Amino acid sequence: LAQVTGSFGNLSIGGQSRGGPTSVNLLQGPPNVQEFDGPAPTPWISPESSVSQAPTSNSDPKYKRCTINAIPQTIQLMNKCKIPFGLLVTPYRHLLDGEDPVPVINPPQIVRCRRCRTYINPWVQFVEQGSRWKCNLCFLTNEVPSFFDWDPETRGHVDRLQRPELTHAVVEFIAPQEYMVRPPQPVVMLFVIDVSYAAVQSGMLATAARTILDTLDSVPNTDNRTKVGFITVDSALHFYNLSPNLAEPQMLVVSDLDDTFLPMPYDLLVSLTESRSVIEMLLQRIGDMFKNTQNVGNVLGRALQAAHKMISPIGGKIIVLQSTLPNQNEGALKAREDPKLLGTPKEVSLLQPQTGFYKNLAVSCSPTQVSIDVFLFSAQYADIATLSGCAKFTGGSVYYYPAFNAARSEDAMKFAHEFSHFLSRPIGLEAVMRVRASKGIRMTAFHGNFFLRSTDLLSLPNVNPDNSYAVEMTLQENLTTSLACFQTALLHTSSNGERRIRVITLAVPVTNNLADVFASTDQFAVASLLSKKAVERALTSKIEDAREALMYKLDDIMGAYKSSFTTSGQAVQLLMPDNLKLLPLLTLGLLKNTAFRSTSTVPSDLRSYIMAMLYVLPPEMSMVQIHPRFWALHALDQQAGLPGADGRIVKPPSLNLSSEKLERHGLYLLENGFEIFIWVGRAVAPELVQMLFDRPAYDAITAGKTTLPTLQNDFNVRVNNLIGKIREVRIQMMTTYPQLYVVKEDGEPSLRMWFLSQLIEDRIDASYSYPQFLGVLRERLGKVGTA
Amino acid sequence: MNTFEEIEDQDGIRLSWNVWPSSRLEATRMVVPIGALYTPLKEREGVQAFAYEPVTCKMPCRAILNPYCQIDVRGKLWICPFCLQRNQFPPHYKDISNTNLPAELLRQYTTIEYILNKPPSLPPIFLYVVDTCLDEVDLKALKDALVVSLSLLPPNALVGLITYGTMAQVHELGYSECPKSYVFRGSKEYNAKQIQDMLGLGAVPSMRPGQPQPRPGQPPVAQNMGAGRFLLPISQCEFTLTSILEQLQQDPWPVANDKRPLRCTGTALSVAVGLLEAAYQNTGARIMLFAGGPPTEGPGLVVGPELREPIRSHNDLEKDVAKHAKKAVKFYEALAKRAADKGHVVDIFAGCLDQIGLMEMKSLVNLTNGFMVLSDSFNTAIFKQSFIRVFNKDADGFLQMGFNATLEVQTTRELRVCGLIGPAISANKKSPCVGETEIGIAGTSAWKFCGITPKTTVGLYFEVANQQQQALQPGSRGLIQFVTLYQHASGQFRLRVTTVARNWAEANSPEIPASFDQEAAAVLMARIAIFKAEIDDSPDVLRWLDRMLIRLCQKFADYRKDDPTSFRLSDNFSIYPQFMFHLRRSQFLQVFNNSPDETAFYRHILNREDVNNSLIMIQPTLMSYSFNGPPQPVLLDSVSIKPDHILLLDTFFHILIWHGETIAAWRKAKYHEQPSYENFKLLLEAPKQDAQELLAERFPIPRYIDCDAGGSQERFLKSKVNPSTTHVSPGGYGYNQQAQGASIATDDVSLQVFMEHLKKLSVSGSS
Ligand SMILES: [Zn+2]
Ligand SMILES: [Zn+2]
Repeated sequence: LAQVTGSFGNLSIGGQSRGGPTSVNLLQGPPNVQEFDGPAPTPWISPESSVSQAPTSNSDPKYKRCTINAIPQTIQLMNKCKIPFGLLVTPYRHLLDGEDPVPVINPPQIVRCRRCRTYINPWVQFVEQGSRWKCNLCFLTNEVPSFFDWDPETRGHVDRLQRPELTHAVVEFIAPQEYMVRPPQPVVMLFVIDVSYAAVQSGMLATAARTILDTLDSVPNTDNRTKVGFITVDSALHFYNLSPNLAEPQMLVVSDLDDTFLPMPYDLLVSLTESRSVIEMLLQRIGDMFKNTQNVGNVLGRALQAAHKMISPIGGKIIVLQSTLPNQNEGALKAREDPKLLGTPKEVSLLQPQTGFYKNLAVSCSPTQVSIDVFLFSAQYADIATLSGCAKFTGGSVYYYPAFNAARSEDAMKFAHEFSHFLSRPIGLEAVMRVRASKGIRMTAFHGNFFLRSTDLLSLPNVNPDNSYAVEMTLQENLTTSLACFQTALLHTSSNGERRIRVITLAVPVTNNLADVFASTDQFAVASLLSKKAVERALTSKIEDAREALMYKLDDIMGAYKSSFTTSGQAVQLLMPDNLKLLPLLTLGLLKNTAFRSTSTVPSDLRSYIMAMLYVLPPEMSMVQIHPRFWALHALDQQAGLPGADGRIVKPPSLNLSSEKLERHGLYLLENGFEIFIWVGRAVAPELVQMLFDRPAYDAITAGKTTLPTLQNDFNVRVNNLIGKIREVRIQMMTTYPQLYVVKEDGEPSLRMWFLSQLIEDRIDASYSYPQFLGVLRERLGKVGTA
Repeated sequence: MNTFEEIEDQDGIRLSWNVWPSSRLEATRMVVPIGALYTPLKEREGVQAFAYEPVTCKMPCRAILNPYCQIDVRGKLWICPFCLQRNQFPPHYKDISNTNLPAELLRQYTTIEYILNKPPSLPPIFLYVVDTCLDEVDLKALKDALVVSLSLLPPNALVGLITYGTMAQVHELGYSECPKSYVFRGSKEYNAKQIQDMLGLGAVPSMRPGQPQPRPGQPPVAQNMGAGRFLLPISQCEFTLTSILEQLQQDPWPVANDKRPLRCTGTALSVAVGLLEAAYQNTGARIMLFAGGPPTEGPGLVVGPELREPIRSHNDLEKDVAKHAKKAVKFYEALAKRAADKGHVVDIFAGCLDQIGLMEMKSLVNLTNGFMVLSDSFNTAIFKQSFIRVFNKDADGFLQMGFNATLEVQTTRELRVCGLIGPAISANKKSPCVGETEIGIAGTSAWKFCGITPKTTVGLYFEVANQQQQALQPGSRGLIQFVTLYQHASGQFRLRVTTVARNWAEANSPEIPASFDQEAAAVLMARIAIFKAEIDDSPDVLRWLDRMLIRLCQKFADYRKDDPTSFRLSDNFSIYPQFMFHLRRSQFLQVFNNSPDETAFYRHILNREDVNNSLIMIQPTLMSYSFNGPPQPVLLDSVSIKPDHILLLDTFFHILIWHGETIAAWRKAKYHEQPSYENFKLLLEAPKQDAQELLAERFPIPRYIDCDAGGSQERFLKSKVNPSTTHVSPGGYGYNQQAQGASIATDDVSLQVFMEHLKKLSVSGSS
């Protein structure tokens, strides 16, 4: 039974032989950005080394990845490598096309370690002739229950190694009674919709109502348990009696806002199935209900209190759709944007909440299993810094549609796509997440949207599939075993009303070799973790400090590497292990990112939004935000934009983010996760223009937010395929439907600048170009001695 | 001289004295003050209104030209009898002559109504305030009644709806997208500004500045603002309102077994008042409250929600242990004053076996001259028919209700007005006609009625101003002019003018006692007694009534001192003591057999009815039906209770048909269904037909009782008749010699005993 146990050889970890780090001289040429398209690095251990030897035994990096794939055995080694040690967990991620669902198992008993409560997993060991199992986190031996080998129903022997909990790193247990403090809650969606002048005029209200209406069939509603409710808000609160016994909805206006009360004891939150026709009627009429409004007041604070009061007995989602700044009563906000502060050390004051109201409200929502998602549509200042607090502490999300105007089909389409996906995706409810690690490893910090209930217990009223969580760790003592394990358990109620525990186990080998540590480091995970730390640093200190911290960390890692692995003869070079060679570029990308860039041109709302995003993005998404993808469309090779052998659309090779790549006759696509840009060179061939834009020539192309025509020609089909593919993945990954902007070489300056600012290898404003940046790095490293 | 009834028919007025003593001293000796029961809008058959402006005297007098004015047809002049100023007739009266006089100068137009040339008022407003803490059956009955009432409203009338239970909801009837209402917390006291802000009635600061002007051809956005959203012409919102009413559900908030439902009547009413006062000052409006139980929540709470806490009784009130009463009374009085100031009527329709807090809320109705209808449930004929009767129309199809009336009194200089007792508030007019003595609502010569009906009858009290006896010119007379300006249900502004003249007489002139209208006097005294009882302890009031009666008898009876057997009263005084006897033992003054709500109700009704109806209330009528002859009125006395008779008792509030033992037995044996007993059938039907006639005219509908001798319902009859056959011992049963000697008897004493004592005390001259 037990086979791969004990110690792994230093250079043959998990049976695989890997060499030490291959050094690369960064000064030799431009960075190899093709590597962004490669698969994510994995732990230096074969999944087949697990007890079941199953290929699915170790966690897919999409669910959970560690910054280091061979963990230093000693505190000393850990300190020496300077590499941030952390986990990135996306526990409830939306499955992409073709991915296998997580196995759901319903054993007679959930087998856990008696001492540390670890769930049995593929990385335990069976000892004493298989009658006991040894916990891979605390090393206690526990009894193996008889049902592992004997099926009482069929009265036959079963192979325990076929059990999903031993073959899969990611499994979901159906929890028995003792995991419930109350019956599993139903899905509850309470919409809090702004109906002030701006909300109506921008078409937000109508679009939101239509989208909800169109999505009702897709909203998770197993066994017809789902409940919905609506509060509309201007200077008053409007509640809706949606009793199934009514012929039409009834509006109840509460304009007494001295404190919060509900106008009815029930029928405000109703069964989606039973009240379906009344709900539909409301959604059909709601646009007309407020069409003549002149009201510019908004009392979101009171609305949220009322919403919380309404759903706190059950828990659920509060979905806020807001077009105006809440400007009255509790939680009223000032339009405090001050361009004079932008780019100064005082800028951070605009990135911090102007009142504790929303955070406090969110904190009070958490224990009642209520989460808040915020959709913001303001044409003016929206104060994302303050309002995002609602989402941050309840496990919710923020969606931002600056200057939303439904009359522009692109705006309506983007919102409708995202909102529709948001409403129909699976929901995990009343959740808590605990992260456990092998003895000797301690969690020191968590990043993401949640409320930390105790040192390692994250409260997530709703588990947001888009959200990722970062865990910073440290070695508390030297590790005594060859394998370090990290187990995440997410206790939640699934949309179908089952109490479930999603268990994700990651096993990473331990090494006492510094070279392995460097060679196994996941530069993308490191950059992702650093981006979250930088957000926290910026918000608690200032943006400049965050930038400095990023630089310092890069110096630190490169210095550690230099001092251990380069010789004096290599001093003129700038060496990095091959697997970390993109880290300087990623750091530069972060420094130039909208979140951290030193500039006075980024409005604080946008800055806050991007920071809020970076704080929760899964690594795949943060990579493309930090380092956008850049393709030459005018030079697509044979397959690009068409389905490949596996049926997926083949992507073109990525270009370096440098304006040197921009040719006068070229057409380029750049994607950063949230936007897609098509750059049109001035000398572009009219045939290409005709094929792509259905326009005779460059001059006839309209720049700006747009939709490409779909035409019957190969080029158009391929580009549309690429855009479609990007959008499909982004919507599944992050509920984002990237907007398309056409940028003309000699077009509108601000649009051009926006595009060009993402070419991070260039020198932009006062920032360094990539080569300059390397020069600076080399200078800073000059003082560091070599091995 | 015309009979009192003929005068009443022409002028709507009955006076206690129809010849007046010429000095103040003599007037006070007459014990009963000079008073009038006046029905300003009394319907007079065949008399129409005149569509021209009245001719008025110069400022500040403003008295109106009337048949008692001296005129000079050649000089085209008239002399005002009130201020003695000469006035020129207006130019269009140039053709005036002794044979060509305008109506207002003709004797048959001592009462005349003018239709004023003013733009019509806004149509009347009906704001329903509906309790939803009712059981299903009651709620259904009420909803049905309300829906029916919509069809009875004039099409241009504005209607609104507020429903309440734990919270109060104002329904926005002008909203077309779906039923919409504004919700107010029941537990909270809102001031007028808050209510208006919350309903979006005032200037709304949060509205978009610089909003675009409405494009031509588009309705201005402002139509959606303001109180017009809540109060719409019935012709526009009948469908919406009907469907809201039909869908109206019971208050949704749960009620524990040991609790009363939470009813925020006070909040609902204050929202109603706030809504109307914001936008409809001095527009005719009725707030119609339909209450199925007492307020248990928020301001104006009458009883707490705990069922173990009983609602206050007269005993609690007397002992001052009714913990919510004072606060609630104060709350509703403040509300009543606000409504009254703005000219809005409040009606209360109670549908509840128990009390609903009328005692606390009565000021709302009494100050605004609203309707008060007390019934056991909304599913009763009393409620349903009374409610429909509110919407009775006149011959021209207009509602029989006027709004925002002011009654002004002018007197010639020898006479002053002391005050008014009736459902009005003071209009605070300090004219020279205001007297020193204060009776009722005093210190003014004008009063305001938010609502007024053709039946509204007020008591007005006067005093003689002349300090000294003055030599009287023969035929000299005093004048009183009543001028009532009101909004007719048609929207017209109308002015009703009644001018009465009565002769002055020397002290001790026999004309004075001969002019005594004992019925009017009894009712006028009853109103004073009740007015006092509302303020003072009832024993004091009873003593006061006794004292006044004895003094009246001493002054006007014929007797030898200390010889009770010599005591005689002339015909026009003879039944006055009997009225007083019955008044003393009536529910108006003997409150302990009734709840505080019932007391409030009875007193309210007496305070607005005319002489005849008031007398029925004070001394119920009893008709007897037998085979011995045609039906006849009989004494309200136990001697009238006979086994072979049917009695029809009318207490105004109850109509009771009682069958003597023999009759009852026959009826039980169904003799009347046998052809040979046709007579018996007719006998049984006669009182029923008469009862129907009584019911037809009455408001509110009386409780109708059909009972037999020995049945439990018989108690209604027994409690009203004079117990002559029970207490025959004249030895002084219940006689209680008070220190002042004013009190004659206790409650259970018979009329005979009462009269014995009265005679004794009157002739002894000890008062
Ligand atoms: Zn363990
Ligand atoms: Zn005059």
